[in-house]
Amino acid sequence: MADFLLEAKNVSVTFGSGSTKVEAVKNVSLTLRAGEPIGIVGESGSGKSTLARVLAGLQVPTEGEILFNGESVYKGSKAYTGEARRQVQMVFQDPYGSLNPQLTGLNAVAEAVRIHDKTSKELSEERALQLLRRMGIAELDAIKKPRQLSGGQRQRVSVARALSASPTVLLADEPTSAIDQSAQAQLLNLFRGLLDEGLAIVLVSHDLGVIRYLTKRVYVMKDGVFVESGVTEEIFNDPREEYTKLLLASIPGDLGVAARQKLNKS
Amino acid sequence: MSASNTPLIQVRDVVIGIPHKRRPTLTIVNKANFDINYGEMVGIVGESGSGKTMICRTMIGTLERRGGKILSGDVLFEGESLARASESDWKKLRGKSIGYVPQSALAGPNPVLTIEAQLAEALRNTGDTKNIKSRSKELLELVKIRRVDTVLKQYPYQLSGGMRQRVMIACALATSPKLLIADEPTTGLDVTVQSQIMDLLKEIRSTMGTAIVLISHDLALIDEVCDRVVVMHAGATVEVGSVKELVKPRHPYTIALNSSRIDIAQPGSELVTIKGNAPSVGEWNPGCRFADRCSIVQADCRTGEHPELIGASGTHQTACIHTELLERI
Ligand SMILES: Nc1ncnc2c1ncn2[C@@H]1O[C@H](COP(=O)(O)OP(=O)(O)O)[C@@H](O)[C@H]1O
Ligand SMILES: Nc1ncnc2c1ncn2[C@@H]1O[C@H](COP(=O)(O)OP(=O)(O)O)[C@@H](O)[C@H]1O
Ligand code: SF4
Ligand SMILES: [Mg+2]
Ligand SMILES: [Mg+2]
Repeated sequence: MADFLLEAKNVSVTFGSGSTKVEAVKNVSLTLRAGEPIGIVGESGSGKSTLARVLAGLQVPTEGEILFNGESVYKGSKAYTGEARRQVQMVFQDPYGSLNPQLTGLNAVAEAVRIHDKTSKELSEERALQLLRRMGIAELDAIKKPRQLSGGQRQRVSVARALSASPTVLLADEPTSAIDQSAQAQLLNLFRGLLDEGLAIVLVSHDLGVIRYLTKRVYVMKDGVFVESGVTEEIFNDPREEYTKLLLASIPGDLGVAARQKLNKS
Repeated sequence: MSASNTPLIQVRDVVIGIPHKRRPTLTIVNKANFDINYGEMVGIVGESGSGKTMICRTMIGTLERRGGKILSGDVLFEGESLARASESDWKKLRGKSIGYVPQSALAGPNPVLTIEAQLAEALRNTGDTKNIKSRSKELLELVKIRRVDTVLKQYPYQLSGGMRQRVMIACALATSPKLLIADEPTTGLDVTVQSQIMDLLKEIRSTMGTAIVLISHDLALIDEVCDRVVVMHAGATVEVGSVKELVKPRHPYTIALNSSRIDIAQPGSELVTIKGNAPSVGEWNPGCRFADRCSIVQADCRTGEHPELIGASGTHQTACIHTELLERI
């Protein structure tokens, strides 16, 4: 058994070349153990989504490697293969873009179940309903198309779809950024439930408040590099980098206010 | 009229509907009640679909463009009726006294106009066409944009989301309005940028004395920057009070909303969520429209009209007929 379920080693991602060259991710390394909740936090453009896509097997890194259970998953220019393909699943900020507008939640999830389990239509629908129910989507809403659902419901449908593969890692890229406060609370509660069941979660967000609530360790990302990383609580209580202090002070509500007072004193 | 006792804006028993030729009128707000005082920062909070944007449209006279109509009640601006204002009244009011930063302004400003052209348009709408260039620069400085000369020549796509939002705020301030309405100005922006925009709004309020309405679904944000809070649920104002008063909310919806804030939650603890969804417009049952989600619902909650806001106007008011049961929550 490898020490880590998922590991990024010296990963860099460069887009374009010459004057349009963008170094989105620069030599970052990250580890994730089974069942662990970790966070990646930073402002827009810091490279979070690119790194998440690399971890999810959707983007071949320019340099470095990704290990899943100790095995390199990008073979040359090829994307994820085998178990990693199934076991690492990703959900996106805007489930509108990732859900087929023509498919009901039930059909979308059942389709994903069939891809992974190769079962009959009836069995896959039964399993899909189960997954949707677990995500707080009742049968009445399961038969609606994405545009008839609220943002929070759409997000939970896409999580149910990701879960149809029975993953061991869930990568969630800004899952709460586009939804209401109460929908956010609902999704975070569900994530907590998934952690209790042993799923590892990589939560990507620009909001340290969300990261604090769910994760045990955090990587603070700026301009493609990790400027600080460690135990979430420690980084909260004693941030080293100015950038981390800025992120802390920006959390809406009491946390941000407290951080700003601390910042002004020092 | 001045900052005497009359509030700047009075929203009184406002009912908004969308009339249809063949079907019955669809009611989307019933009822809204609240005041905005001069120089005050008021937050309107509620889930999406609760009617926040529609209420703002009554204040800037763009309800009809969305097929909406004030069915009853009134909105008073410095004591004068807006519900009965003619389009020529609106021409004078809109932009002169009330500035509006529309929801998803991030998609705007007009993509084919330079920032200079956008500001010039906003400034010309004030009727005063003198010194447009220097006034444009002043506006950008007002919203804390640096390298003003460069920015004036740029197109919206060349600016970051935060900068675009500052430009939109600058346009809304072109007429030195008494009221600035910002409809979810930071949805989709980073929290770092959100925090800067909030600082900007606070500064505009304190230096120019502008009253500000901030719409958001984030109670933590509103709690941090506003003086007063208006809580909306399914087309009704269900609670109104100062931020201090709302520390102890007195409506089951606000109580739940307050407990779902992650900034005050223990990491990893169970977050309070609100059962189910708000009833959609067109699917409202009699009585309290929070009934299906309420943990202290009683039989009489489901009959008659939606509860009225109770309590002295301008201070803590709640639209719940069973506040005596609140301690059970
Ligand atoms: N497919 C792409 N082609 C070119 N540049 C890209 C692409 N994807 C991302 N980038 C650039 O990489 C940088 C990091 O982007 P991203 O990973 O989306 O950051 P974040 O998720 O933190 O906002 C940005 O400068 C972005 O413009
Ligand atoms: N033209 C319309 N026809 C039917 N329903 C509408 C129309 N415009 C708005 N609505 C409905 O009115 C309700 C209130 O909308 P809105 O004020 O935009 O809510 P919020 O800003 O709080 O998200 C929503 O349920 C919306 O679907
Ligand atoms: S009126 Fe009844 S249903 Fe409505 S909030 Fe109060 S107790 Fe709950
Ligand atoms: Mg991203
Ligand atoms: Mg709105």
